[in-house]
Amino acid sequence: MTFTQRVRPIALRILFLLGVIGPGLITASAGNDAPGIATYSMAGSFYGYGLLWVLLWAAIGAVVLLEMAARMGATTGKGLTELIRERFGVRVTFLITLGILIANIGTTTAQFAGIAASAELFGLARHTMVPLVAVAVWFLVLRGSYERVERVLLFLTLYAVAYVITTFVVRPPWGEVLRQVMVPSVRLEADYLLALLATVGTTVTPWACAYMQASVADKGVTALEYPYTRFDVILGLMVSSLVAAFIVICAAVTLFANGIRVETATQAAQALAPLAGSWAKQLFGIGLFGASVLAASVLPLATTYAICEVFGWERGIDREVGEAPIFYGLYTLLIVASSIVVLIPGIPLFPLMWLSQVLNAVLLPSVMILMLRLANDPRIMKRQRNSPLTNVLATLLAVVITAATFALLVDAVL
Amino acid sequence: MTMYLSRILGKPVWDEQGERLGRCVDLLAAEGEVGFPHLRAIAVHDGQETRLIAAQAIAWLTPSIILNTSHPPTYEPRGDELWLARQVLDRQIVDTEGRRLVRANDVQITRVSTNGVRYHLAGVDVGTLGLLRRLGVEGLAQTLFRLLRRQPPKAIIPWRDVASLQADEPIRLRVSLEKISEFHPADIADIIEELDRPTGQALLQTLDTEIIADTIEEIEPELQVSILGTLPPEQAADVLEEMGPDVAADLLADLQPTQRAELLELMEAEDATDVQKLLTFPEDSAGGIMTTEFATIPMGLTVGKALEHLRQSQAAHEDEALFYIYVLDDKRRLQGVIALRELVLASPDVAVRDIMQTGVVTVDPLASQRDVARLVAKYNLLAVPVVDDAETMQGIVTVDDAIDAIIPTAWKKRLPRVF
Repeated sequence: MTFTQRVRPIALRILFLLGVIGPGLITASAGNDAPGIATYSMAGSFYGYGLLWVLLWAAIGAVVLLEMAARMGATTGKGLTELIRERFGVRVTFLITLGILIANIGTTTAQFAGIAASAELFGLARHTMVPLVAVAVWFLVLRGSYERVERVLLFLTLYAVAYVITTFVVRPPWGEVLRQVMVPSVRLEADYLLALLATVGTTVTPWACAYMQASVADKGVTALEYPYTRFDVILGLMVSSLVAAFIVICAAVTLFANGIRVETATQAAQALAPLAGSWAKQLFGIGLFGASVLAASVLPLATTYAICEVFGWERGIDREVGEAPIFYGLYTLLIVASSIVVLIPGIPLFPLMWLSQVLNAVLLPSVMILMLRLANDPRIMKRQRNSPLTNVLATLLAVVITAATFALLVDAVL
Repeated sequence: MTMYLSRILGKPVWDEQGERLGRCVDLLAAEGEVGFPHLRAIAVHDGQETRLIAAQAIAWLTPSIILNTSHPPTYEPRGDELWLARQVLDRQIVDTEGRRLVRANDVQITRVSTNGVRYHLAGVDVGTLGLLRRLGVEGLAQTLFRLLRRQPPKAIIPWRDVASLQADEPIRLRVSLEKISEFHPADIADIIEELDRPTGQALLQTLDTEIIADTIEEIEPELQVSILGTLPPEQAADVLEEMGPDVAADLLADLQPTQRAELLELMEAEDATDVQKLLTFPEDSAGGIMTTEFATIPMGLTVGKALEHLRQSQAAHEDEALFYIYVLDDKRRLQGVIALRELVLASPDVAVRDIMQTGVVTVDPLASQRDVARLVAKYNLLAVPVVDDAETMQGIVTVDDAIDAIIPTAWKKRLPRVF
């Protein structure tokens, strides 16, 4: 705090706003990590504008769920799993935590796949780059010198702006785009359902809800300041969903229209060709690298923290390894396991990135049921219970995801 | 005989005739006159409604719950009961011996047959073994430990060392809460930081104003503001008076202007003036981190008279550390300094002037915190006086406040506590 008293009134108000705003923007921009980029590129190149409506509804679902999580955090001051444990007991908590752990291993794997893919764009072997980055992440995060690196990485992810500019360069048929956003079109085939689930799973995840609620609870946002937080949630999601839509549109115009179905990062990079020309590969590679490393640095540690907290194990990077063996063990396991998967010979990186998100979507309904029960419980939420609209929208989302999951299962069996 | 709550909950309850009354959904316990709290009642749910059955009707709790009558007496709650499943199990409790916040994985109950009270709350299981028991794999874990030839870690906190915290209801078990008020304020601060806000506030409000002040001083700045904001204004003002003016000023500086003015208005005039003076300096300057409570003596005293003066002086009593005594002239200009140690060890007849140090290292109120820290480190000072342009002494910066500037903030603080 280097502000002097003279500027304090204004500065304080801005700081206050930023302080309250933080979590939403961070949670939202997490959607632009490696699996996000992969999913949106895939969606656009396989189905053109055909999945844009899913993006809209997934964003609405995300607003509803994250708002619910933030409200629970502000009202109770407790995290999501804390509430789940106090209300539903250890077994349910264990299952949910296990689900989130598996999904997050999937997402971390996707980040390392993003690192591998971007390395290969620059002609570097993934067998050297992935272990190198894994070790670097492990050390940087634990040794605390990560902060400076983080700024560089955040800067690199600004490349997403390139998609916004590209969209305006390629001039998509806006009327058609708008029609596809508004009018749902469902295809009952396995690939389409997978793409649909991946799109939902990239936009809203159980982990994001838990993270949201925890950061709100942690910041000590009260019911009084809550409107700021809600504004922040909606703003953050609007920004990230718009960027997502632009990625889909770019992929649709440049790839789908030319019959290219994205299977590799090189192909995905071509979506930026109208703007960057022959530099598209480099631009995409740098951005993908930044976004992947950023998420790969945050996710394993935050996941480990969360899990240790649920079960009351010693945790924190200020502890010695001997003091907190489970904490360090789990953290290391997350990074090692995720990077090893990527190194399996012949594993297709790009599909790995977006398929990991299907897991998140499939897990979502069970977490949503618990959230709905908590957010409607008068003993827990007092007057801050869900509005009927929130309940209807959330239930609708859960039903759609469950239906898509079942359709996919039926398709797989038959 | 020892049993666990997790093994009792959900079990069917049978009466003497072998009639099934329903399932056990909770146990109610309360503090007795002596010793551990005992079981008062068992909550039985028959599919439609929950009924409370008085504990004296219980013949057995394990392996099955069997009553000793077919007309069990209904229990009327008196309001002082603890509902074990709803209020203790899976909740955060304070381990008053270890001074830390833990989560109750299970509750240990012992069967005793003295004085007609037959079930006592023995302790709370906070260990991983308790968790595994809840997951139904305790046996498996025990076998694993045997195979590894290790002792399973036991983590049972005896009930007398447990303080349960419930924000939505009046805090119970005052005995154990009294123990919390005996903690070091830094320990209380740790617990409050880790608790969810409503519970943390409820806990804080049970403490004395003085302890609240000490505790808030130990809490992270961001949390200080929100915690102070939850106290009633009069109490908040009292708390601010108890704090060192430097801490109080920092805290007030972070408040909304209207709130700040209101609290300053409610504070006693003398304290409010001190704080207001500090508020005019930038937060990271010497003036912003100094305290205005420091011990002074006038010129021309002997050591004996000086010590006498200090005993009478309110400023000396308010000085947090009392490392140095500052010698001021009648215009409050700094003439010299003497360490309390020197003063105490010198013979009473010696004139302070002869043993005091002149040419004191001082800082300007607008000097940066970093510069103050460097000076303190360079001259190995425990406190450095802050002197303005007119050579009037304004306050002192103690070493702990100075070095905050050069100690990097732990990275950990940037990570949200996720769950």
